[in-house]
Amino acid sequence: MHISLRGEFCKNRFGQVGLVILTGITVLALLAPVIAPADPHRQTRRSFEPPSALYILGTNHVGQDNWSRLVHGARTSLLVGFLVACAATLMSVLLGVSCALKGGLYDSILMRFVDALIIIPAIIILLLIFAYLKPNIYLIAMSIALFSWAGGARILRAQTLSLKERAHIWAARSFGGNNWYVMRRHIVPDLSPIIAVEFIHAFRRGVFVEAGLAFLGIGDVTTVSWGVIMRNAAEYSYMNAWSWWLLPAGLALSITIISFTFIAHTLEPIMEPRLREEASA
Amino acid sequence: MLELRNLTAAYGQDQVLSGIDLALKAGDAVALIGESGTGKTTLGHAIMGLCEGVVQGSILFRGEDLLSLDKETMRKIRWNKIGLVFQNVNNVLNPVYRVIDQVIEPMVEHGLKSRSEAFLRAEKILEEVGLAKNRFSLYPHQLSGGEQERVLLAMALANDPELLILDEPLAGLDDTAKIHMIHFLLKLNQMRNITLLVLTHDIATAVRLSDRLGSLYGGRILELGPSESVALRPRHPYTRALIRSYPNITTSKDLQGIKGRLTRPVGGCPFHPRCTQAIDICSTQVPRLKDYDGRMVACHRGGVIPLMKAVELTKEFNGYKAVDSVTLTIHGGETLALVGPSGSGKTTLARMLMRFLQPTSGRIYFEDQEVNEDGRFSNRVQMIFQNPGESLSHRLTVMDLVSEPLEVAGKMSKDICHQKALALIEEVQLPQDKALIEKYPHHLSGGELQRVAIARSLALNPDLLIADEPTSALDPSIQAKVLKLLLHIQENRGLSILFITHDIAVARKISDRIAVMHEGKIVEEGPVSQIITAPIHPCTKALVASAPSLQKVETNGTGTADALAVGARQGAKSALDPCS
Repeated sequence: MHISLRGEFCKNRFGQVGLVILTGITVLALLAPVIAPADPHRQTRRSFEPPSALYILGTNHVGQDNWSRLVHGARTSLLVGFLVACAATLMSVLLGVSCALKGGLYDSILMRFVDALIIIPAIIILLLIFAYLKPNIYLIAMSIALFSWAGGARILRAQTLSLKERAHIWAARSFGGNNWYVMRRHIVPDLSPIIAVEFIHAFRRGVFVEAGLAFLGIGDVTTVSWGVIMRNAAEYSYMNAWSWWLLPAGLALSITIISFTFIAHTLEPIMEPRLREEASA
Repeated sequence: MLELRNLTAAYGQDQVLSGIDLALKAGDAVALIGESGTGKTTLGHAIMGLCEGVVQGSILFRGEDLLSLDKETMRKIRWNKIGLVFQNVNNVLNPVYRVIDQVIEPMVEHGLKSRSEAFLRAEKILEEVGLAKNRFSLYPHQLSGGEQERVLLAMALANDPELLILDEPLAGLDDTAKIHMIHFLLKLNQMRNITLLVLTHDIATAVRLSDRLGSLYGGRILELGPSESVALRPRHPYTRALIRSYPNITTSKDLQGIKGRLTRPVGGCPFHPRCTQAIDICSTQVPRLKDYDGRMVACHRGGVIPLMKAVELTKEFNGYKAVDSVTLTIHGGETLALVGPSGSGKTTLARMLMRFLQPTSGRIYFEDQEVNEDGRFSNRVQMIFQNPGESLSHRLTVMDLVSEPLEVAGKMSKDICHQKALALIEEVQLPQDKALIEKYPHHLSGGELQRVAIARSLALNPDLLIADEPTSALDPSIQAKVLKLLLHIQENRGLSILFITHDIAVARKISDRIAVMHEGKIVEEGPVSQIITAPIHPCTKALVASAPSLQKVETNGTGTADALAVGARQGAKSALDPCS
């Protein structure tokens, strides 16, 4: 699998756009304390102010600065997304690869579990879980991760099944390398492009689901998050403040998701070489 | 008639013969083969009472111990009863006498015949040994080496001895003259019932002249058995190594030497420093000659060991038997070629032996111990794969690749690991420079890659290499080099190789035995010479007939080849499957 990630991005304009957007948002999130003019939590008496020089995106119902909340919200989204991506990818790799290597009953049981996990609607289960648990963003990230690894695990298992029949894997086994060694030394590095794609997918899913949960009122209401912004704004939809309150948060979420989609789209040919344009032409 | 019991001989500190036990009946023909310096000449001289060293033990000739006889009695037995044909070195013949006089001398000396009678007899004998009449009156230096050899033989025969000891008897003769002499000597043996004891390094002569053949090393007899059987199926590692290094028309494997130098070790089996299967006991205890189904072998391990044995091995894929109850033995230090058309189950068999695949039924033994699921021997059996490009991970450098097995085995510091890997890289004749060891597989050529793969497979000091079509992806000149390398490694390390190939011509050059596989079964197995020259199974015949040849197929004359060629032209099924 000789695939260079950089090469893929050089060829694909979508990928470049995605990368630029994502980099922009990341920079925004990292520099939030510098960029944001106000404390996103500080309430003032000046609620529902339209955009002005002082409040770029106006203020919300409790007089908080919308722009500051939007910028800080990016931090929450990316942090949750990143945690989900890490946890979900780790689980995908460990479980998917071990299923393929071990086989037998372990594989059968785990894969049926994966099947189940894929059809279960994650949002509903999460709603049920957080009806009982007091959520914080780490718990939310882990819960989302728990419902995000299954698809990746299945893909990685399939790839490992073909990879493990390769001569260099057999060779490693003939030296006495056990499953763990083979996985660590050969299979994971060989699968790294696919793992990267899985990571991006999980990241996107994490950002999206976190916003969705927050919008539905799950999570700490005091957290500054795009989902919370949209939820608050939606409650005051009869006011015409939505254009500077709801819209910016919605757009920010959308372009973040789109940037991930573009990146994933660029990396997609790695998983399915038939999608390559040269091949189809 | 002649019996040697625990015969030892020493020149000062140098023990040349140590504990020779050998019994010859009247009319026997026994040959002992061995390298120079293994004690052949000393043995001959000791029996003749000519040995200048200290000889101990007993030499019973017709019940009389020659060692206890006084000089005068011994002198009578010597030449009259026991004749010795000297090894023709340093001109044994007296340069100032004519050759016929030298043949006459022993007869007159022992007072058996008058001078004129002796003259007539000498003429007759010289004629018999094939010396041209016009040479009789020449001086030794006027004769060629071969002719001198004949004169020496005539001298030994002059007094009609009962036992003839021949020390490198035919060394100076050309091959056709050799055959003449062999016929003559055999006639002596059969017609006149003269007992022959042949001491030589010339294995072909030994086989032709003798009924029983033994190998002598470090003053001991290591193996003794029926001549042809010993030569074709040697059981002692030394005998086998000796035969491998002897050019002959029967075996087709490339010549291999014996590792190390001839030394006289203090204790244990004399051959153990050079033996490829020596274990601890070999260096401490002397093995006795023991009888193994009619073959006497002096080896603690009972001769060449069966390293890996597959018994009734079967692998079924959805009811189709890819390997069908295969029983196969790979001996220590040998190359066994597994030959067969593609799809005959060779690779499946190899994978089962590697424990990559679980057999449907059957058992695998490694050094007589059954191999169970945990794959205990994994480090001792290694594999070389068909395509080095696939078997070497493209992400690792040459250094990483070669040291990977060491790393898996663990318990080794990075430095030692590095040193060992460098040694391995040198062993496969690759440059050790930084430029190479930091390269990735796609920077290397096919031949270099396969060398790296071989180095890697040697890292854990395996006893058996399973090579699955290791050269089929290489072009002929590189294939030749890789094959030579494998043989060289085998010579040095003494490892066994199971060489899987569809090319019987390759198998012929590198293997000791060939097993032919067809539709999951071993259909024929035997020494290479036998499989190539006298194949029995139709599949083997077809493989031999269709093997690469530099002559036009029609001139092959086997018929099968013609049929195959015709079949190929017509696109018949027989061309697709040479065995059908």
